[in-house]
Amino acid sequence: MREFLALLRGRIFIFSCNLTGKNVKIGRGLRMYKRMKIFGEGSVVIGENCSVCGIRGDSSQYTCLETLSPAAVIQIGNNAALYAARLAARFKIVIGDKVLIEEAGIMDTDFHSIARDRQAPVSETEDKCRVMVGNRVCLGARSSVLKGTTIGDDVIVAPGSIVTISVKPGCTVAGNPAKYLTSA
Amino acid sequence: MKSALFNKIRDLIKKSIEDPSFFTSNAVGIMRGTCYLIYYNYLKRNIKIGFPFIVHAKVRIIGPGTVSLGKGCRVMKNAFKGLTIITLSTNAKVVIGDKCFLGGITIRSFGTVEIGDKTMTAISLIQDSFIINYDKLNDKTKQRLPASKRISIGMNVWLAEGSFVMNDTTIGDDSVLSSGSWCHDAAYHDYVLIMGNPARSAIPIEKLLRLKGEL
Repeated sequence: MREFLALLRGRIFIFSCNLTGKNVKIGRGLRMYKRMKIFGEGSVVIGENCSVCGIRGDSSQYTCLETLSPAAVIQIGNNAALYAARLAARFKIVIGDKVLIEEAGIMDTDFHSIARDRQAPVSETEDKCRVMVGNRVCLGARSSVLKGTTIGDDVIVAPGSIVTISVKPGCTVAGNPAKYLTSA
Repeated sequence: MKSALFNKIRDLIKKSIEDPSFFTSNAVGIMRGTCYLIYYNYLKRNIKIGFPFIVHAKVRIIGPGTVSLGKGCRVMKNAFKGLTIITLSTNAKVVIGDKCFLGGITIRSFGTVEIGDKTMTAISLIQDSFIINYDKLNDKTKQRLPASKRISIGMNVWLAEGSFVMNDTTIGDDSVLSSGSWCHDAAYHDYVLIMGNPARSAIPIEKLLRLKGEL
């Protein structure tokens, strides 16, 4: 019953996205257990059989995909599970298949420059800042992935870690800044 | 013994006459806590909460495991997040001692989590597995997760804001986990200061106090 309701809610969400003319493409079989919000003018592509859930015991958190410019792209693969994930893209975020994101954030921009006026950062380019996450990656609770990082396949990011460097495939990383706990 | 209790009650009455908001906030807390206590003790299985239970923020206890809270626990308003305990399996067991100050803490457990008496917490996370929803994933990653192991925290420990306690951690009595620290697979002695994400070797607090000239 719960599965059926989630599927129905996913269908309604896809329909409402099409109705409002958003630049959103969602594959078949989206299951929505908790709410999801998509902001911005950029394009969002979500693969097939994804599920959108919330964190148990904290109803205030929900999945949130935000594109900050019309050229921004968020691309999520098939069979992804988003447990209150927060993605904010100014350039490009690419996430692979079978990824599990749990109460974590991914952003490819700093939002503000460190200069005194706090305007949008000038020196950021797409080549420098885009975030690539591989297949079968697990992101733990309260962790965040910052701009310009590439995470390989089969990586586990421990809870509470801040990923600022690129991570090799098959490792476990933890800490602020993230360091290797186990290597492949 | 009797006179000490009498003095305590007299002081409380004096304080509440001087500052009526002290009395009202405590009275509301006790009433709210008693409502939670009745709900969880009599309507839910495997949950036991001791009296008095003073609550100033939301309390959520979810899951099939057993949970027991000692006498005189307080749930404080810490960034408006109350106490959240989630047991994720039937073997899960969460034991919290007497007179704890629980504010904003989130506990998620597959196994045993033990917290001693008079422990203070802020917005911190106690979790005995790296990824909670790993079982629900269709295709597992190649490497295995570290197994969920017992977490035990001693008496009179202070977990400061933003601290993480992961699986297989033992923290001794009177210790302090500084804000933003992260510990996993380690055992710490009594009366030490633990710092860093991931945590480095702990510093004895006596040594720190001696350096500061406070001892």
